[in-house]
Amino acid sequence: MSEHTLKFFGDELTQLKAEVTRMGGLVESQVEDSIECVVRRDVELAQAIIGRDAKIDELQREIERKAIRMIALRQPVAQDLRRTVAALKMAWNLERTGDQAKNIAKRALVLAEAEPLTPLTRAVERMGRLVVAHLKEALDAYTSSEIERGLAVWRADEDVDEHYNSLFRELLTYMMSDPRTISSCAHLLFIGKNLERVGDHATNIAEILHYEITGEEVDGQRPRWQGADGEHPTGEDQ
Amino acid sequence: MPTGPFSSPPPGSRTETPPPGDTAVGVLTATGAGVVGLGLLAATGAAQLEPALLTAAGVAAAGLWATFRVRRRDPVLRDDRMAPPSALADAARSPFEDALENLPDPLLIISAEEPDDLVGKRLTFANAAARALLRIPRDGALLLSAIRRPEVLEAVDESLFGGLAGSVSFETGGAQDRFWRVWTAPLPPREPRRFCVLVMRDETDVRRNERMRADFLANASHELRTPLASLSGFIETLRGHARDDEQARDRFLGIMSAQAERMARLVDDLMSLSRIELNEHIRPDGRCDLGAAASDVADALALIAGERRVTVRLDLPPRGNAVVVGDRDQILQVIQNLVDNALKYSPAGGGVTVSVEAGLTLAAATATDPASPRLSGQDAGRLSLLTPDRADDSLYALIRVTDEGPGMQRQHLPRLAERFYRVEGQKSGDRSGTGLGLAIVKHIVNRHRGGLWVESAPQRGAMFVAYLPQAARDAAAPLADEGSVASGAIDPDPQPALARQARL
Repeated sequence: MSEHTLKFFGDELTQLKAEVTRMGGLVESQVEDSIECVVRRDVELAQAIIGRDAKIDELQREIERKAIRMIALRQPVAQDLRRTVAALKMAWNLERTGDQAKNIAKRALVLAEAEPLTPLTRAVERMGRLVVAHLKEALDAYTSSEIERGLAVWRADEDVDEHYNSLFRELLTYMMSDPRTISSCAHLLFIGKNLERVGDHATNIAEILHYEITGEEVDGQRPRWQGADGEHPTGEDQ
Repeated sequence: MPTGPFSSPPPGSRTETPPPGDTAVGVLTATGAGVVGLGLLAATGAAQLEPALLTAAGVAAAGLWATFRVRRRDPVLRDDRMAPPSALADAARSPFEDALENLPDPLLIISAEEPDDLVGKRLTFANAAARALLRIPRDGALLLSAIRRPEVLEAVDESLFGGLAGSVSFETGGAQDRFWRVWTAPLPPREPRRFCVLVMRDETDVRRNERMRADFLANASHELRTPLASLSGFIETLRGHARDDEQARDRFLGIMSAQAERMARLVDDLMSLSRIELNEHIRPDGRCDLGAAASDVADALALIAGERRVTVRLDLPPRGNAVVVGDRDQILQVIQNLVDNALKYSPAGGGVTVSVEAGLTLAAATATDPASPRLSGQDAGRLSLLTPDRADDSLYALIRVTDEGPGMQRQHLPRLAERFYRVEGQKSGDRSGTGLGLAIVKHIVNRHRGGLWVESAPQRGAMFVAYLPQAARDAAAPLADEGSVASGAIDPDPQPALARQARL
């Protein structure tokens, strides 16, 4: 009887992880598409992204419901508990990531109506590709439970920050030299911030994976670049 | 690492319970029918009736189908799936299965019972190409552990439960972009399970060709416009009021010839960049000693170094120690471009250091020296320009090129490897740069599955590090044991004795 229950619980956990993975796939392609719609000024794609966000929210609620039910009914301990909690955390994180993609799509709609700013859009695309690669790697690590792979993403986050800083300065220079671009540049700036947040979510996924498997927080501070002017450009004297 | 939205399944996932199915006798008959089907297929000439062919193919598929089922029941055979295909040829396998196994395109057979049961969707079969690409460790893995791209999952569902064939295409990220087209088609169900087949094809070549043409045209037309405008300006002047001014004519012709050379260089660089990009997803299979390559490049550049009064210092390991998997001509080009850049930005009397190290893990190859003078002070920065996909067991060899030039501000680092990007306010001394040098370096290193990073601070110089996967020791070509290529300095004397005009 108890063996049966155990096996059954194992199946439920696998099911839960499969649902998180599916949600991850959806979020991943939302982020990819959101960059695509900025680059190609694709209004239809942007609207599709905004529409699909509801599906992600729904998946998140579903995973949350199932996980809470499992905790309540089965009262898992040790790794089973961690796996359940990790699924919960993953769902929250992925939902937030999806929101970032939706925000980017909304701004893409506005940008599509203004004059194109090709060189700047390319900088955003470059940062976007980097962030998508991190997200994919983090999700791969989560699905295959490879801690080292996850930690590599976690360590690489400074590259995203560096891209964001560079983009920030570039946009600022642009806005100062040509005030007519201010409106578009402001939107691009927020898109950069959204992407930077997606990068942070990818590192969160790595942290959740680490917690799920070891039960411990990741050791040490994330190796961030600390230049003379602090880690974020906002609030700098330019 | 495989490209694609895929990954291996969690190690803890449960193995599949085999679905209830045919008896062994039924299976055997079906296999027999499959063989007959093959015979029929072979016997049917091209001009024969189509229905006969279809029937034969159908029967063959049924036979093939049955063999999967045999294999799936036998745990020993299932374990065999991970062995290389040659080890798999045994009596229990039909030629059809071997054929599928050895297809160059990834192929999956997926089974499921309920549309909503995510854990029920499993990979019944994955051929060698699919296992390598999607990192599937065994049959019976969760579909979701291999594929999580929503449009592909939808197509699979439509085939499984809607009985519809479909096709989707998508691009995968990762260090090398790939384009894939995926076809799915339903297979006859075996209650209670339903089945479908999924085939993937790599369409990177086709897409890349298209994109390359577009990029080439855009870049070429944009970048050639400036020198072209200046050429036509001078031609106008020479035809007009400078017609009889001998002094002006000589000077203008000099400038025009320099512009024409620049245009030629630009076209060369663009074409070489395009060629590299075209093959970027195909990994080279040659062997090349980084140390030897670095010393060749230093020899070839000795003349230029001398002209600029810059000393090139080499710090190389013994020959044969830093052998990497790579295309020698391309690796020479990487080193050449890096050293060339360093020379270009070095002040007269300065020095450029080229060092090669081998036997490093990925972490060691990307580690920074905390004592580096380029990591302190205002606007100092370090950034990875290219990070390879993870390969856990690889060792790397790296080449490090350090200059004592003016350095760069942090904000420029992310854009360095971009085509035609130039750090503002920094002239490279003469007009020799095309703005493509680092882009070429990046694409070559990416093709070699390596990485590239830079650290720099204003007034403190710059350091570029390229690292490439090392060749397995035993596979190294018999490089002559010439002892060590000693560390030494190349004399800045502009004697062309060593300056071979190597084709770099």
